Amino acid sequence: MLILKTLARNKPLHGFAIAEFILETSSGVLQVEEGSLYPALQRMLLKDWIAGDWGKTEENRRARYYGLTAEGRKQLARELDRYARVSQAIAAILQPV
Amino acid sequence: MKLPRRIAAFFRRDSETLALREEMKLHVELRARKLHHAGLAPDDAGFAARRQFGNAAVYQDQISALWGWTMWERFWQDLRHGIRMLFKAPGFAAITVLTLALGLGINTAIFSAVNAVMLRPLPYPHSERLISLWEETIHKDQRFSSSGTPVGTAGGSQRTTVAVANIADYRASGAFEDLASYDSSPVNLTGMGTPQRISGESVTWNYFSVLEVLPVEGRTFLQEEDRPGADPVAIVSHEFWQQRMGAAAEAVGHPVLLDGKPYRIVGVLPAGFQSPPKLGVDTPTEVYLTASYPREQLANRGDHDVNVVARLKPGVSLAAARAALGTTWAGLAKQYPATNGNLRPAIATLRDDLASDVSHSLWALLGASGLIVLIACVNVANLLMVRAAGRRHESSVRMALGAGRLPLMRQLMTESLVIAAAGCVAGIVTGRLLMLALTAMAPPDIPRIENAGMDWRVFAVAAAIALTTALIFGMAPAWQASQVKPVEALKTAARGTGGTSQVRWRTALTIAEVSLSLILLVGAGLLLRSFSTLMGVNLGFQTDHVIAMNINLPDLHYPDAQARLQFFQKIEDRVRSLPGVVAVATANRLPMRGGWSSGIFVDGDMENEYSPDFQAVSPGYFETLGIPLLRGRTLTGQDTADSTPVAVVNQAFSHQLLEDRDPIGHTMQRSPNAPRISIVGVVNDIRRKGKDGLIKPEVYLCGGQTNLYPVHLADFAVRSAGDPRALVNAITREAWAIDKDQPVTNVRTMDEIIDEAVARRRFQTLLLLIFAGVAVALAIVGIYGVLTYSVSQRLSELGIRVALGAPPRAIVSLVLRQAGALIAAGIALGLVGAYGLTRFLQDLLFEVKATDWHAYAGAVALLAMVAVIAALIPARRGARVDPAVALRQE
Repeated sequence: MLILKTLARNKPLHGFAIAEFILETSSGVLQVEEGSLYPALQRMLLKDWIAGDWGKTEENRRARYYGLTAEGRKQLARELDRYARVSQAIAAILQPV
Repeated sequence: MKLPRRIAAFFRRDSETLALREEMKLHVELRARKLHHAGLAPDDAGFAARRQFGNAAVYQDQISALWGWTMWERFWQDLRHGIRMLFKAPGFAAITVLTLALGLGINTAIFSAVNAVMLRPLPYPHSERLISLWEETIHKDQRFSSSGTPVGTAGGSQRTTVAVANIADYRASGAFEDLASYDSSPVNLTGMGTPQRISGESVTWNYFSVLEVLPVEGRTFLQEEDRPGADPVAIVSHEFWQQRMGAAAEAVGHPVLLDGKPYRIVGVLPAGFQSPPKLGVDTPTEVYLTASYPREQLANRGDHDVNVVARLKPGVSLAAARAALGTTWAGLAKQYPATNGNLRPAIATLRDDLASDVSHSLWALLGASGLIVLIACVNVANLLMVRAAGRRHESSVRMALGAGRLPLMRQLMTESLVIAAAGCVAGIVTGRLLMLALTAMAPPDIPRIENAGMDWRVFAVAAAIALTTALIFGMAPAWQASQVKPVEALKTAARGTGGTSQVRWRTALTIAEVSLSLILLVGAGLLLRSFSTLMGVNLGFQTDHVIAMNINLPDLHYPDAQARLQFFQKIEDRVRSLPGVVAVATANRLPMRGGWSSGIFVDGDMENEYSPDFQAVSPGYFETLGIPLLRGRTLTGQDTADSTPVAVVNQAFSHQLLEDRDPIGHTMQRSPNAPRISIVGVVNDIRRKGKDGLIKPEVYLCGGQTNLYPVHLADFAVRSAGDPRALVNAITREAWAIDKDQPVTNVRTMDEIIDEAVARRRFQTLLLLIFAGVAVALAIVGIYGVLTYSVSQRLSELGIRVALGAPPRAIVSLVLRQAGALIAAGIALGLVGAYGLTRFLQDLLFEVKATDWHAYAGAVALLAMVAVIAALIPARRGARVDPAVALRQE
């Protein structure tokens, strides 16, 4: 969901940029082994939620830029919806009486 | 949607892997640079970046598994490994592949014959709806049963051709689109080179529409052409048009002289078309004439003389058609009890009917070849077990290093698959070669066998068998290997000692092999005994030095019995004076060439009707065929159309019709008003239909009196002093000297005719013998292998025995005792199997019971003998063992 949202907010990004974006936006809270990003990306490629295109970085290095597909947008919407319901439920339970 | 993507990804997985590596590397570098900017030393930055990233190799593996590559890669790995292992042991590979090739090859060959003869659709459109129809007489009581030889099939039904008059009723049953009748009607072709007798068929006008065949030139028959007195028209085969008419452009409308009568050709059939009874026969039908049944025949329900082919209505099943015919028959039986009461119609699909003669033997052969495949499987399994034992060490090392049982089993199974695949390919090639040999050797009367070849069915069956065999023979060693306990196996060191379960498995396999080959041997033995019994049958006439031929005189030039008699008297006189001729004979039909049977009443007793075989013969007949006269006189030249009708009968006639009274002086007549025929002599019994035929009551009418009977003199035989073949040209010349347009056909020595008649039995006996030989050879290899292995395992034990003073004889008997137990167990099991299975052979056996003890005893003795010889070799090797060498190996 986070990756999908990241890609939805930006133009197509390469792996490092996605990791950086999540790290910065979450102010360093969400930090996992960065490599696990790649199997996740591959899984989404396989499910056709994202598409990868080779391009050049600012330093002229070859990198794959990932962008959201139409299917990916739908998936994001589904996940956001589900997340909203779950967090509402949690919020409702945690609300001080 | 996902699968194609996976497959596409699979093929560029190498570049994908590289791409991922590049992506990850970039990531780590970018992170390192960032950390460096944040103030870390370059080395520390790189280290931290890698730590933050995690284990790249693990991610790679995750991704690989994600795409489903891992499974394939492992399979490839196993496959490559399997192939490498086979190349490392070429001897083992060669033996296993050869064994499989032999088993699969035999199976493929037999199956392709079965496929061609019985499974493949007939070469007619919608052939699945084509039906063959015949009539069966139901014997309520068996009048001709006598001690010794039973006559006919007691209580069963006997197949006959169909009465034309019944066809209209069968059509009215509503089950069929249409029915057509046909009958073979060979004709003399003149006016096109030398006179020739060619195969013809007289067919009803709708014959071709029932078969759904359209002529390439002209048209088929019109209904009004199928009537007596209509213009004579003919339809010719494509081959007739091409070869006899030189593919003349205007075949249609062309006249052709058949039996001396001009016919107008109205159509040419497509190339390759053959009528059902001639499929795969080397004398194809060349001309088709209209049946034009006369009015009397159309009304006569007692004359059975045509074959019927019918086409079922779409959607009507065979069973439904049978039921509809049953209803029709019930009506007919009530209306015409005399002719139809004991005679009911029967149907089968045309394809099954055409193959009905050979289906029994083909199924038996297929079963036998199945047994061979099983034996081959067992043998390969045995070999694989030896190999697996040799690799126990390897297996246990792998397991000790952490390999799972499943991957280990999977790897061994993959190796078995490699062997099976190689065996399958080799088997198909072998099968093709065997098939060529088989069709070349096969007797010509097996329909459609020449079409036997490879098609998808044959390939599918071969591949399915190969896969099944791989599973069967691969399973045992794989299971074995998975049971390895690494600690124990490693403790016993590098020596490949098979455990007790190993030995048990291999013993069981060897016993199975012995028992399977015993089953085949018993089957072959039964057929062999049946065949030798058949060959020992006394025909009752002498076949050596006799040449037989047909001289069919056309009605147009020889309108009556007298004209035909004159021709044959002339040719008899001319041929008798040729040097080297001992005797000459004329008949309507010689033995082995069909015949005629007719209802008769004896001594004016109109209550009991009998139907013996009839033939009209010339005075020289009995001398020519060497049939001894027992009482009275034979026929002479003084018996003519003007004198009393006379006949000679055989012993069976007096035995079955006259309660063993002397037949001389008795009379018989064919109908209440027909002239009485006096019996003047008795001759020896003969088997008219050949060695597997029955002795039936025979009546030999006088050839000079054929004006009284509906038979045409047409067969001619000559007994010679030397080689009868040498006379053929001279005889033909004499025939042409009398009538230059007269073909002399079907020239064969009697010995050849008898030989051809047993050709099919000889063929199937030979095939089963070969199969049994292969089976025994494979079993011997199995026994030899097991004992050699077991002796090599026990070398040290045997060495100790020798060192302690055991004489060589004791060692030999020790090994032989082990072998004996194996063989005895195999034979015992095999006897049970043979007893159960050989009953399916009963239909193929001639006067031999499927439980014939000779065959069983012979098979057991033979198998036991060769098995012991096979066991002797390793036993002697064990006895010669040098104790010092044997003990040092430890």
